[in-house]
Amino acid sequence: MNPPKTEHEVLQAILRKAYSEKENVEVGDQWQQKVMRRVRELGALQPTPSFPEMLEQMVWRLAPVTCLLIFGLAVLFAFADFTSGYEVFQLLMNGTEELTFALFAGL
Amino acid sequence: MDNDSSTSGDAEIVGQVVAGDVHAFEHLLRKYQNLVLIILKKHLPYDQIEETAQDVFIRAYQSLPTFRGESSFKQWLSTIAVRTCYDFWRKHYKSRELPMSSLTEKHQVWLEEAISAQASQSFHEQSLQKEAREVLDWALDRLSAADRMVLELVYFEGYSLKETSDLLGWSIANVKVRSFRSRKKLHKLLTQAIPSPDISGLDRGSTT
Repeated sequence: MNPPKTEHEVLQAILRKAYSEKENVEVGDQWQQKVMRRVRELGALQPTPSFPEMLEQMVWRLAPVTCLLIFGLAVLFAFADFTSGYEVFQLLMNGTEELTFALFAGL
Repeated sequence: MDNDSSTSGDAEIVGQVVAGDVHAFEHLLRKYQNLVLIILKKHLPYDQIEETAQDVFIRAYQSLPTFRGESSFKQWLSTIAVRTCYDFWRKHYKSRELPMSSLTEKHQVWLEEAISAQASQSFHEQSLQKEAREVLDWALDRLSAADRMVLELVYFEGYSLKETSDLLGWSIANVKVRSFRSRKKLHKLLTQAIPSPDISGLDRGSTT
């Protein structure tokens, strides 16, 4: 003989049954056609690019920025005065014991 | 064996669709429409099933390039269907006004009879399913979207914690905690719906 069910078990069984009954509702059959219509509107899928393809795309996307950057740096170097920088470098190399912060900062 | 051939057949069709054959998708739609409908019927209101079924298949179509075949197509589609249901309830709960109505007298009487000690088997068999569904919907409507989904999957459909975590994309620990809490909430809702001292045993049962 089975032991008597608790209130909890009885309610759980009833609610489970009610929940499973939801499966029996009828649904129309027009929605499949709508899905296919929407799929055709969306058109063929674009396959996800592989890593080398993604890298290639990124390289080409960054190419104009890189060119601009190279051109900018070339102009900067062409007109830059490297003499003072060279003197500081000489100081550093020849007389490090005489170098003070004030001298290094050009004060 | 049949399952293997079905899986490889699905993978072949998926390959065709991804390669640009849009019409091949109709095979998948016809094959798995019942699977999706069964999932949606359980989780959604009747008037939302058709529209959401369309959304599930459109979402699946758009995600096909990401299908790697690590799980079967059936499992992959089930996951999309369950997550679409979850998204539906999240949107629904955001846009709705907080339901304040309590159970009607008819439902209160039904609930009281349903959980009374004398009821048991005879009531279970003769129980009015319409009332049962209405009480269930009333209680579920007062839970959050996440609690609702976990409760339905674990408590009513009997999915394991692992299966539920796979379907919803959550951690097992999250599912475990939420499943316990949502069950407590459901019982609290139902016990508070009928102010009677006889039904306090519900909470005792829920802790197991």
